[in-house]
Amino acid sequence: MTQDEIVKALLAFIADEDESDDAFNEMALALFAYQVAHNEPYKRFCRQRGRTARTVRRWQDIPAVPISAFKDLTLSCCDPDEAARVFMTSGTTQEGVRGKSFHPTLEVYDASMIANFRDRFVPDLDRIRMGILFPDELAMRNSSLAHYLALAKEHFGTPDSHYLLTDDGVDQLRLLTELALAETSGEPYALLGASYSFVHLMDEMAAMGESAALPEGSRILDTGGFKGQSRELEPDEFYNRLSSFFGVPRESCINMYGMTELSTQFYDWGNETCPSVKSGPHWIRTRAVNPLTGEDVPEGEVGVLAHCDLAHFNIVTTILTEDAGVEVEDGFLLLGRADGAEAQGCSMAVAEFLKAAGG
Amino acid sequence: MIWAGYLPGIADDAVDWQTLSFDRGGSPVEISVPSLSQEQIAALSDRVRAAAREKLKTLPVTRIVNIVDAAIARLLDRNDPYRQRMEELLPVITGYDAEMVRLGLTEYLKTFRKPQLTRFLAEDFPNPACLDDFQPLAKGGFAKAHGPDLLLHVWAGNVPGLPLWSFVSGLLVKAGAIGKVPSAEPLFASLFAQLLAEIEPEIADCFAVVWWKGGDPDSEMAFLKEADTVIAYGGNEALTALRQNLPVTTRFLAHGHKVSFGLVSKNALDTKKAPETARKVAWDIVRYDQQGCYSPHMFFVERGARVSPRDFARYVASELAAFQHRFPNRALSIAEAGDVAAWRQAEEMRLLSNAGSELMSDPDGAWSVVYDDSAETLAPSGLNRTIRIAAVDTLEDAIPAISPFKPFLQTVGIAAAPEELFSHSALLGEAGVTRISALGRMTAPEAGWHHDGRFSLLDLVTLTEIEATAETAAESLAPYAD
Repeated sequence: MTQDEIVKALLAFIADEDESDDAFNEMALALFAYQVAHNEPYKRFCRQRGRTARTVRRWQDIPAVPISAFKDLTLSCCDPDEAARVFMTSGTTQEGVRGKSFHPTLEVYDASMIANFRDRFVPDLDRIRMGILFPDELAMRNSSLAHYLALAKEHFGTPDSHYLLTDDGVDQLRLLTELALAETSGEPYALLGASYSFVHLMDEMAAMGESAALPEGSRILDTGGFKGQSRELEPDEFYNRLSSFFGVPRESCINMYGMTELSTQFYDWGNETCPSVKSGPHWIRTRAVNPLTGEDVPEGEVGVLAHCDLAHFNIVTTILTEDAGVEVEDGFLLLGRADGAEAQGCSMAVAEFLKAAGG
Repeated sequence: MIWAGYLPGIADDAVDWQTLSFDRGGSPVEISVPSLSQEQIAALSDRVRAAAREKLKTLPVTRIVNIVDAAIARLLDRNDPYRQRMEELLPVITGYDAEMVRLGLTEYLKTFRKPQLTRFLAEDFPNPACLDDFQPLAKGGFAKAHGPDLLLHVWAGNVPGLPLWSFVSGLLVKAGAIGKVPSAEPLFASLFAQLLAEIEPEIADCFAVVWWKGGDPDSEMAFLKEADTVIAYGGNEALTALRQNLPVTTRFLAHGHKVSFGLVSKNALDTKKAPETARKVAWDIVRYDQQGCYSPHMFFVERGARVSPRDFARYVASELAAFQHRFPNRALSIAEAGDVAAWRQAEEMRLLSNAGSELMSDPDGAWSVVYDDSAETLAPSGLNRTIRIAAVDTLEDAIPAISPFKPFLQTVGIAAAPEELFSHSALLGEAGVTRISALGRMTAPEAGWHHDGRFSLLDLVTLTEIEATAETAAESLAPYAD
C-alpha cells in the first residue's frame, strides 16, 4: 500500500463504526507490513525479535517498540526531512535526548483526535467556551499536546475561548475574569491543560483566597501528570481540589492519557473514584504485558501497558510504555510508572552503576 | 503466620507486629516482623549490653566456637526442624529454586564448622587467646582485644544466609549484638538466633534480631544511638544516610553494593576445556540470580584459542539454557522484569548499530547473553541471569576497562595458567579487586575470607595494651621487691 492508500483506509476506519476484532486485526497487519517495508530501523528491530510480516498473524504479535527506542532510532516510513510535523517528547530524561514522532500529514492524527474528543469530552455540546492552560501551537510547534489543544479549541471551542498562559505562567487576571464571566453567564465552561498547571493555578488561587463556582455542565480536562514540574498530589487530593476550586464535580473532571508516541488518546469517564478506568476508541487497543516476555500478564494482574494505535501509521503502531496498569472490563487502570525495583541483593544494579561511572 | 525476629525480655504481645507478604509463585507466605517502640529499643539494648558483659565476655572464645559449631551442625542436619523450616520457607520468601537453596545452604554452612571457625580466628589474630585475656606481644608488653559492647548489624539483600558472616564475627569477638533483618529475607537470622538460644540458654540474652521499615528515621536513630559499632550492608545511598546519623565516636563498617566480573584466558579455551569453563561461568551467573556482591556482571574472554570468545559466549548461552531446566530462575515482580527488560532493550538498541555484537536470549526472558567484539569499559548486566561477554586481545586489556570502578570492585573469577594468575592478580589488586576465585566458585567465598578486603574480626575489636614500662614499673611495687 502507498501512504495515500493507508491514509484513506485509516480515515475510513476511524469514521466507520466497525469495532470487530477481525477488522482491527486486518488493519493492524496491513500497517505492520507497511512499516516493516518502509522503515529500515523498525525492520531490523523486528528481525532481532525474530518477527517478520510473514510470521506475525495477530496484532498482539507485532513487536512493541519500547518508548525509550524513540530516542535512539529514527522511526519513520516517510523521509523524516519531509515530515509535515515532528512531535517530540519533553526531553526530561536521558541527557535531554528527545523521542521523535514524524508525521508526513496530520490528517489521520486530527481525525483521530476530533472524533475521539467529541465522544469523550463534549458528547452533549457542539461547542463550549474554553480556557486553555498551555502554550499555543506557535510557541510549541513540536508539542503534540499543544497541537491537540489547538484542535480542541478550533473544533469545539466557542469564538471567545482563550489561551490563559503567558510566558510568566497563568494569566491570573484573565483567568479570574473568565471564571467570573462564566459564572454570570450560566453557560458551561471548560478548563483544559497540563495537570501540573492546575496545581500551580490552584496554589495561586488559594494564596489570593479565590475560588469559583462554574455553572452546571462545566468540565475540566487535565493531562500528563506532574512530571516534576509541580509538587505531586495524590489523585484523590488533586480531584478534590479541582472540584472545590472550580465547583466542577469530580465526575466532570476528565483525565486524558496521551503520549507523543501515539496519535490517539485515552480518556476516563470522570474521576469520581480513582484510579479511573481509561479507554480509547475502536482504532486503539491496549494490553498489560510482562515487559520481559511481551506476553499478557494473567487477568487482573499488574503489567506494563502496550498500546497498538492504528492512527500512528507512519511510525509504529505498537509501543511498550513505561506505565504500569491493569486490564479491567471496558478499559484499563493506569497505576503510575513501572520502574525502579528495589534492590534485592548486594550486587550493584544498573542505575547505581551508571551513577558510579559518572563519578 | 510465621514470626521473625528474636527479642529477649520483650513479651510477644507487647510488640507491634507488621506483616510482610511474599508471593513468588507457588504458595504465598506472610511473615510477622517486630516494630519496636523507642522505650522497647532502649530496654532491649540495655538488656543485650548487660547480658553480653555478664555472660558472653566471660566465656573463653573456644567455648563460643563450640556453641556456633553446635548450631551449624544442627543446620547441616536435614532432619533438624530448624533446617527443615529454612528449606521450606527460604525458597518461598526469596523465589530462588528450592534445590539451589538447599545445595547453597549446605555448601555455605560447611564453612562455619569448628575447624573453619578456628581458622577464621587465626586469620585475624596471631593468638586468638587475646580475646580472653592479656597475651604477650612481640614488641613487649601485653594486649587484650575487646569486642563492642553493642554491635548493630544492618543486613540487606535476599541471598539466604548472608547475615551469618557478621553475626558469627560478632559472637567470636564477644559483642552484644542487635541485628536488623532485611525486608527481602527476614527469616534466616531470626531462626539462627532462636537456635543459638536453644543450644546455649546462658547466652540467650546476648543478642537480638529486630526489624524496622527501611528509612524509618525514628527507629533507625534509636538503634544507631545505642550501638558503639555499626556494620551495615546496602546501597551507597542507604549507607550514606546511616553514616550521617551516627555519632562520630561510633565505628562504622560499611559494605556497599559491589561489582564482580570474570577473566577467561585463552588457555581455558581449547576445545576440550571450553565447555567445562562455560559451565562454571554459567553456574556463577545462575547462583542466586546474580544478586550477590560476588556475582559476575561481565566476563572478559581472551582471543587466540581454538574456541573464539564469540563461540564461548554461545557455549555459556547453552549452559544457561541447561541450568534453566535444573534450577529455574526466580519469578520476577513486574518492576524487576521491567528493569531486566530495560537493560535488554538498551542492548538491543546498541546492537542495531553495532555489527560486532550479538544478543542471545531465552524466548521467555529467563536469561540473556550479550556478546561484544571489544571491551571499552566494564558495563553492568541487568542481573537476574543477564551477562555481557566481551572479547579482549589479552587479559591485561581488561584493566583499563575496570579501573574507573575501583571503589566498587570485589570478586574476580578467573581461569588462567599459574603464571598468568599471579601476574594478572597483581594488576587486579592494584585496580581495586579484593578477591580472586576460581570460576564456578565466585559465589562461594572460602572460610575466613576477607570480605571487601577487610578484617572481619580485627575491624570489630579495640586493643588494650599494657606497655612494657607499666610491667617493669609494677615490679618495683611488688610486695616481694627488694
